[in-house]
Amino acid sequence: MEQAVVAAVKGIVGAEHVLEKYEDRYCYTYDASAVTAGKEGMPALVVYPGSAAEVSALLKLANEHRFPVIPRGAGSNVSGGSIPCAGALVMVLTRLNKIVAIDRKNMVAEVEAGVITADFQTEVEKLGLFYPPDPASKAFSTMGGNVAECAGGPRGAKYGVTRDYVLGLEVVLPTGEIIKTGARTMKCVAGYDLTRLMTGSEGTLGVVTKAIVKLLPLPEAKKTMLAIFDDVEKAAETVAQVFMAGVIPTTLELLDNIYIRNIEAAVNIGLPVEAEAVLLIEVDGDAAVLDKQVGIIARICREQGATEVKVAKDAKEADELWVARRSAFAAVSRVRPTIIGEDCTVPRDKIPEMVRTIRAIADKYNIIIAVLGHAGDGNLHATILTDERDKEEMARVEKAAEEIFAATLAVDGTLTGEHGIGLVKKKYLPLELGEGGMLAMRAIKKALDPNNILNPELV
Amino acid sequence: MQWSELEKEVIRCIKCGACQSVCPVFRELKAESTVARGKINLIRAVIRGDVDAAGAGFEERMSWCLMCKACQESCPSGVKLDQLMLAARRKLAEDKGLPLLKRLIFRLGLKNRRLFDLGMSMGSVFQGLVLRPAPGGKGMLPRLPMGLDMRRLVSPVDARPFRSRVPAVVAVDNPRKTVAFFTGCMINYVYPQIGEAVVEVLKRNGVAVVIPADQHCCGTPVYVNGDVPTAVELARATVDTLADLEVDAVITACGSCGAALRKEYAALLADEPGYAAKVAALAAKTKDFAEFLAEVGLTAEMRGLAATATYHDSCHLARSQGVRRQPRQLIAGVPGLTFKELKAPARCCGAAGSFSLAHYDLSRSINDHKVDDIAASGADTVVTGCPMCMMHIRDGMNQRGVAGEVLHTAELLARAYKDEK
Ligand SMILES: Cc1cc2nc3c(=O)[nH]c(=O)nc-3n(C[C@H](O)[C@H](O)[C@H](O)COP(=O)(O)OP(=O)(O)OC[C@H]3O[C@@H](n4cnc5c(N)ncnc54)[C@H](O)[C@@H]3O)c2cc1C
Ligand code: SF4
Ligand code: SF4
Repeated sequence: MEQAVVAAVKGIVGAEHVLEKYEDRYCYTYDASAVTAGKEGMPALVVYPGSAAEVSALLKLANEHRFPVIPRGAGSNVSGGSIPCAGALVMVLTRLNKIVAIDRKNMVAEVEAGVITADFQTEVEKLGLFYPPDPASKAFSTMGGNVAECAGGPRGAKYGVTRDYVLGLEVVLPTGEIIKTGARTMKCVAGYDLTRLMTGSEGTLGVVTKAIVKLLPLPEAKKTMLAIFDDVEKAAETVAQVFMAGVIPTTLELLDNIYIRNIEAAVNIGLPVEAEAVLLIEVDGDAAVLDKQVGIIARICREQGATEVKVAKDAKEADELWVARRSAFAAVSRVRPTIIGEDCTVPRDKIPEMVRTIRAIADKYNIIIAVLGHAGDGNLHATILTDERDKEEMARVEKAAEEIFAATLAVDGTLTGEHGIGLVKKKYLPLELGEGGMLAMRAIKKALDPNNILNPELV
Repeated sequence: MQWSELEKEVIRCIKCGACQSVCPVFRELKAESTVARGKINLIRAVIRGDVDAAGAGFEERMSWCLMCKACQESCPSGVKLDQLMLAARRKLAEDKGLPLLKRLIFRLGLKNRRLFDLGMSMGSVFQGLVLRPAPGGKGMLPRLPMGLDMRRLVSPVDARPFRSRVPAVVAVDNPRKTVAFFTGCMINYVYPQIGEAVVEVLKRNGVAVVIPADQHCCGTPVYVNGDVPTAVELARATVDTLADLEVDAVITACGSCGAALRKEYAALLADEPGYAAKVAALAAKTKDFAEFLAEVGLTAEMRGLAATATYHDSCHLARSQGVRRQPRQLIAGVPGLTFKELKAPARCCGAAGSFSLAHYDLSRSINDHKVDDIAASGADTVVTGCPMCMMHIRDGMNQRGVAGEVLHTAELLARAYKDEK
């Protein structure tokens, strides 16, 4: 980047909000995915803008001088969405960290993009309100990043994903215009639904600087239970049955034996290490009806062949189960150091078939694939446990992943339920969208970002 | 040791970013290169050949770590950041010839007026850590434990270190237990009153105390700055002095000394023939003051104290040694005292030993959050189990004009026994 441009950037955000040192820039060549840009993809600058106006000025400068801009929150995405290309400007939005308003009467809140999701939830809950989207990364990921990835989480089975809560946005378009989409109202059909277009756009169509989100009343109580199975397919089969019985659990997580054993080794709370699978189930809502719901779910689990159903006695036991669930990743990194978490999502009733397919693929390529799923919403994280230093095995991993994608699409599933396409799955996207779909998306990108400034490598 | 040998640990970082929510350094500096994930990936970059380990930029980033282990505690893959950081610093010391801290001070410190002033004011503290010949006539310390000669900057410290004030054996009638007391440098040279309080409280509770005269520095200050050979020598000396004593326990009253004796020596002395068993025996015997007392129980009656106290968890006491409950239990048991928790009691105070010398401004801003929490707690007495934390918190409260006393757990208890009011 020319010195004059660097000076202009500093003029916009202030020199103290610009990182120029090689080592500092290097640390923005990766995110939480397995890909990294390395030395070849070094960003020219890393900047921390302090307002939408600064974001706008930076984007205008980028159009003038044609350098790429990569928006970034906490860099916790697992799809390679915030990986820069050589000469890019990485725009970190964490300085925009104010909760602008929590409007109790209308049950909406307005937050800046850099607010950490869990911090926002804590504030909201203090007022007896509830912001349900809860990616497992919520303690560090940002609201802007959540919107850009349309993040989901364990509560998705009942409450949906980020998209279902975003009412409106403040977005800086790639060309620098600051626009507002949606409204503070529950209903809004004025014009195209740009809010939805931006939500899940992975930082390619605009930089989100603010979000207006919908809130719910905080559920009065919750109950957590663990159903134990000696056969992973029986567990998978149970998932659809629970919903068919008319109960909508908040969470319905499936963990296979590899996960169970390693989690138990890590946290030691007495999980059934012999079990082939467990379902971790939570219901929430009116305290008076919870027992009834738990009863129905327990009955269905037993009918489907659960060897045991345990209901957490108190908050402490429930907490233990959740700590166990959250340490899942941790735990399996004991098996092999490199973890690749695939994110295929299928219709709920196809889960048993998909689990079977994943197991067959693991056998075929002789690699370890553990299965953990937000099964309640059909989202299966086929977790490939490998070692990035073993090139030969990595080649088999690549083939296995390809087969998993193909199988997912074959049962009307999608390549990603919550992690996004990013660099990681870019080449597979046409498989799902077809040529027409790709054309439509490219036309939108071209219209909004004629000079291909924002996250250019992603599209 | 090759950089590539670090790879096995480095690749366990799955780059999730979870450490961002806990790292005190990242909280201040905000740049990805300052959080555990960034530091680990810079080491990865050195292995890959993308980053030059000889460059000042890399070394400086390796120095931006408090070794507070907050990242380790929350890391889903259990990456041992401290081991990586130590290995990197050791490698830097080997490749570049001088311990990290010394280079930092030369490069930054001597050009920087504020740090120079600090050197003057803290000099008496560090001089004590640095210069003492080993008592008991067993020769000089192998080298200056800080790896840094500050004689030029400072006037001599208190001429009467703790160990010259107390007898080698403090006997009691019908002792319930007999313990050895490892004083460490800070207590011996800077805060002898903590040592006196430890002995006083133990004595009152029927515990006889042996204070071996020829103790050394535990080695932590040099170890964390990459000077491993000196650390090994100090560790061996400590083990030789303490391992074979016929006592029920070896007591430490400094979080870092305790962590060294109990946890770090095993790795540090792994290659020293004949030391494994002795190190294990010492580790098993070593107990923090508060932990030991809570275990044997207080028998002597207290007069009590009218105070509102809060407690700061020293990283090396809480995270390394797992001692959290016991000091609180002891403090809350003081008659007349009200106990108030801090908002984030286990957040690092920013002292981190020599870190606060090399990065004074940064360590102050980290400390500001601690001082804010203390002010918000309404406590008039801050209790902690580590002399280094005490010094740093006291300095912070002073500079920010927050009133209140900072005491070691032992000092608080000793007062509760003594006060006539
Ligand atoms: C341990 C772990 C657990 C996870 N669990 C879940 C989970 O349960 N559910 C889930 O959905 N995801 C999960 N993720 C993935 C990740 O946390 C989410 O995708 C999250 O939304 C990313 O937020 P971020 O702030 O880190 O964004 P980043 O990773 O920094 O960015 C993500 C993408 O959004 C773009 N972007 C960032 N901020 C903005 C903005 N303000 N405007 C426009 N574009 C922007 C970037 O260019 C990039 O393409 C997990 C990740 C980890 C490491
Ligand atoms: S929490 Fe652990 S695995 Fe995650 S980025 Fe930090 S060091 Fe790496
Ligand atoms: S040890 Fe503490 S200061 Fe060092 S990287 Fe980890 S959290 Fe940050």
